[in-house]
Amino acid sequence: MVGITKQFPGVVANDGVSFEAAAGEVHALLGENGAGKTTLSNILTGLYRPDAGEIELYGESVRFHSPRAAIEAGIGMVHQHFRLVEPFSVAENVILGDHRGAGGRAILRPAATERRVDELSRRYGLAVNPKAKIWQLSIGEQQRVEILKALYREARVLIMDEPTAVLTPQEAEGLFATLRAMADEGKTVIFISHKLHEVKAVADRVTVLRGGKTVATVDAAPSTARSLASLMVGREIEVVRPLEHARQLADVTALDVDGLTVVGDRGETAVRDVSFSIREGEIVGVAGVAGNGQRELAEALSGMRDIEAGSIRISGRLLHGGDPREAILAGVAHVPEDRLGTGLAPSLSVTSNVVMKTYRRRSLSHGPLLALRRMRDVAVRVVRRYDVKTPGTDTPVRNLSGGNLQKLILGREFEDDPLVLVVAQPTRGLDVGAIETVHSYLRDAAARGVGVLVMSEDLDEIRALSDRILVVYEGEIAGELHAGAASIEEIGLLMAGGARE
Amino acid sequence: MKLERRLTQPWWLSVAVPIGSLVVAFAIIGVVLALTGHDTWETYRKIVEAGFTGSGAMSATLISATPILFTGLAAAAAFRMQLFNIGAEGQLYLGAVGASWIALQLGDRDATSTPLFVVAMCVAAAALGALWALIPGVLRAFARTNEIITSLMLNYVAGLLLTYLIFDSSSYWRDTSTLQARAFPQGKPMPEASNWPTFGASVVVPLGFLLGILAALALWVLYSRMRFGFEVGVIADSPRAARYAGMRTRRKILAVMAISGAIAGIGGASQIGDFTHTLDGSPTGLQAAAFGYTGIVVAALARYNPFAVCLVAVLIGGLLNAGYTLQGPDFPSGLVGVMQGIILFCALGGELLLRYRLRITRVRAGTPIGEGAT
Amino acid sequence: MSVNDSLIVIVLAQAILYGTPLLYAALGELLAERSGVLNLGVQGMMLFGAAVGFWTTQRIDGSGPAALFLAVLVSALAGAALAAIHAFLVITLRANQIVSGLALTIFAGGLGLSAYLGTELGLADLPAVHQFSDLDVLGLGDLPVVGPILFDQSALVYASWILTLLVALYLGRTRWGLNVRAVGEAPASADAMGVNVTLYRYVHVMVGGAFAGVAGACYSLSITPGWTAGDTLVGGAGWIAIALVIFAFWRAELCLVGAYLFGALSALPFALQAREVDVTPEFLYALPYVMTIVVLVLVSTGLARRRLGAPAALGVPYVREER
Repeated sequence: MVGITKQFPGVVANDGVSFEAAAGEVHALLGENGAGKTTLSNILTGLYRPDAGEIELYGESVRFHSPRAAIEAGIGMVHQHFRLVEPFSVAENVILGDHRGAGGRAILRPAATERRVDELSRRYGLAVNPKAKIWQLSIGEQQRVEILKALYREARVLIMDEPTAVLTPQEAEGLFATLRAMADEGKTVIFISHKLHEVKAVADRVTVLRGGKTVATVDAAPSTARSLASLMVGREIEVVRPLEHARQLADVTALDVDGLTVVGDRGETAVRDVSFSIREGEIVGVAGVAGNGQRELAEALSGMRDIEAGSIRISGRLLHGGDPREAILAGVAHVPEDRLGTGLAPSLSVTSNVVMKTYRRRSLSHGPLLALRRMRDVAVRVVRRYDVKTPGTDTPVRNLSGGNLQKLILGREFEDDPLVLVVAQPTRGLDVGAIETVHSYLRDAAARGVGVLVMSEDLDEIRALSDRILVVYEGEIAGELHAGAASIEEIGLLMAGGARE
Repeated sequence: MKLERRLTQPWWLSVAVPIGSLVVAFAIIGVVLALTGHDTWETYRKIVEAGFTGSGAMSATLISATPILFTGLAAAAAFRMQLFNIGAEGQLYLGAVGASWIALQLGDRDATSTPLFVVAMCVAAAALGALWALIPGVLRAFARTNEIITSLMLNYVAGLLLTYLIFDSSSYWRDTSTLQARAFPQGKPMPEASNWPTFGASVVVPLGFLLGILAALALWVLYSRMRFGFEVGVIADSPRAARYAGMRTRRKILAVMAISGAIAGIGGASQIGDFTHTLDGSPTGLQAAAFGYTGIVVAALARYNPFAVCLVAVLIGGLLNAGYTLQGPDFPSGLVGVMQGIILFCALGGELLLRYRLRITRVRAGTPIGEGAT
Repeated sequence: MSVNDSLIVIVLAQAILYGTPLLYAALGELLAERSGVLNLGVQGMMLFGAAVGFWTTQRIDGSGPAALFLAVLVSALAGAALAAIHAFLVITLRANQIVSGLALTIFAGGLGLSAYLGTELGLADLPAVHQFSDLDVLGLGDLPVVGPILFDQSALVYASWILTLLVALYLGRTRWGLNVRAVGEAPASADAMGVNVTLYRYVHVMVGGAFAGVAGACYSLSITPGWTAGDTLVGGAGWIAIALVIFAFWRAELCLVGAYLFGALSALPFALQAREVDVTPEFLYALPYVMTIVVLVLVSTGLARRRLGAPAALGVPYVREER
């Protein structure tokens, strides 16, 4: 790809980006969130069209007008957010949109497709049942379906976008082995990531992107994590080390969960007899692969989901559950992982979003009437105090960047002086600057005495922030560790269901 | 050429686009007229005269505008929260039933105070209209049933109820006093005192119209200055966020549907008190007037703003009035519906420009981005 | 009195008669909704199709079957043309699907285009020149019970059976059916897999409109041959068809069952009246509408728990490059 440029309203995602990858190579695209990696890959797969620049495939110049063109040219991609059709089976997803072979005929022959899927899955070590429906599969299995889709279409270039976000460390190892096997067959694998140690583990060469531009292309083997990191960020940074010793904490319990059982969307037991507590000022991290009950736990704590059994106490006060207003009044602040979908009303202004939970207070309304000026004042205060970059308080929040959205939500939650803060995926999709800021806010909150529960799929983050770490697996707490004493291997083992030694 | 989501909306756009789409609509209608052998300008001139400028035209227009002002407000109130209450038609019928019942009751007790009648009729009408709207409301809030179909079905049921009351029963509403009335079913006439007053001389303004404007004002205050409206706004934008913030979504659904139904119901009271002075159960009367559906057109064109609804109601009322007056070989029936449809289509198309902008780009290696943005 | 004159048999036979336009319209709406587009303009498209179809029979000099076939074809085209307006507005211009569908109904319905056409062409005064008559298939029309019900229906009815089968097979067994289902469930995924979302949506909405047009023709060419102004020609059929799709769980076979159920409810009042059974007519007429609500409620509460049902992307415009 040469000189690729792509603009969106308000942002230049790619600015003259160039890199080349060889056949039989695993080539990594490294960059922090927002550096332009996903946009670049979307251009390569025909989803977006570049405003400028050229793409050459095996020496020939190509232009993709649509995803179909890219697929026919042999480019396959496994996106970060899967492009699967949930009610369909694995086999149906694999042949969707395919012209050749069994999918090319007018009448579908499910049996033939299932056989081929079986064949491919065995050859590349991607075990999955071709008849299963997507919604029945775990995220790791769904990812395998995505890979199978590309292999089925005889992709010569396979792009993996942040594949390990949803895998346990052990599953990630398995994935790397699969990718190496493909490269050995002569395929080209492009591995997009912002995780240094992964890139070093699997890639042959690395192209670093920063702020929409190419910074450098280096060989993976001789590079160190530190050198890659500084290329990524443009300055020397400390590779994150976990807290070495426990902080001094008051012995007052902010959150007490006892025997909590919560039912999930499909009627299954998502959280099973979970008990733990958080002291005031303590940060407890919840590690685990997505889909093991973290979301349901957060929802139960914030009142968005009913409690099936057990109890939740906020500073001693019992929550009856199932009522977000009760939780809010009890002092529970919740930063959901779906920022723009659940935590905010996207088309409404910054002001409206800031007062979304507190507008009923006497300070913000005269009885049934709104006190609009006071609401604006609060919004301005939050925006200034938490460094939210926005053109104004009347701007619809969907215009804000991910980092500013998160700062806004955190600011809103903190303004209400919560007793307990439940945060899910606090820094997903944020650039390094925003990550540091968010982490500092969380630590400040803890310093002020708030009991913080952090759920994250990013182990580094958990280890950097937490005083204690809980690992969840299949709705239960698989283990509880003190941050200083926990190693990645141990955590990974617990995440995958292995027993603690 | 591609469409890009707008980040902000310049204020003049929300005025320019509706007007622009109106202009385009009339241009298209003009073409349609010309193609079918009608003189476009002559037809337009006649419409303006029959609807607004002619003698007595404005008064007649207000008569047409009043019911659709109410149903328009009813639709706007609900649609603002993404609750598609298509049932204003039936809620208006029920309002008429309620208003006529109380008027007859008061008449039986020899009440003479018109203000009493007005208040009582409005209250009864609002109550029945709200109740009728709460059926789809409850079903939506608790059984998650789509309110579009349920409210629509209830329109037909309400119409059949009206017909039943007058035609196929000897109900309280039916006039059985004379032999003729028994043979040709009709509703009992309302007592004199229940006739709603009018205002003005050259342009006669029915009380209902004024009540409608009051309702618009009240709705505006409710939705933009009160906590109620704030919650409606959040729920409309993101029901999940509303729940997350602790808002009582179900209660809001019920409240909004009730308000919507109540307003439509009062429209029914106005029909009785201002105009018909009897409950009209015939399939060619109230039921054929399509007030409810026209109200939806009004609300959509007014982009659910209560004050704009008042204005649009008068405009559409003028159009309807002209349609009745001019009906004949030169002005085919059905033209009114066609015009409404085209205006609405253009308005919908214009909406696009409010949310997106057009950007023309050239995709070629090495060249800078060229743009022609609107 | 033979069993074929009994109430049950007559009602069932008429159920099929009255249910057929519902079936056509429902199948059409089913296709549109499977592609993710809600088209509330069914009522308007039916009325327009009825008017246009009737007019066509007036204009064709020729044998009955040929004229009727042509009339049905023209009705279909008329419906598709109207649907194209809706498609353009909601797919390309990304307008609100509900308002657009309602606008279409107002535009084309009993106070709009159909009436315009009807009065311009004086359709109300014209007698029915051609109409579909019952075909006594293989002479089996007199068999007890099944005779009148299955073997003595019009060509439109038999065609609708074939159509139901085709639609069911199309959706369930063909590549294009898989594609359109993907478009309705997850347009982003379908797009990424190379399926042309826009094209599929346009096609299915317009075909849906064509079916609605034919449904309208059922009335003016078969059930009540002739044309009358206003909505009375079809009653609330357009709206019932929309509801039908929902409680058929978006499956073609169930559309057939539902259509005949409602057909029976529509036929009941007349049958009872013919027997001089004294029931308040309004109560019977209201039955289909009330039943629709009841069934819809049952389906909604069921849907909440199960994973069958509405195409996930129904009613949402698809935008590819939205960040």
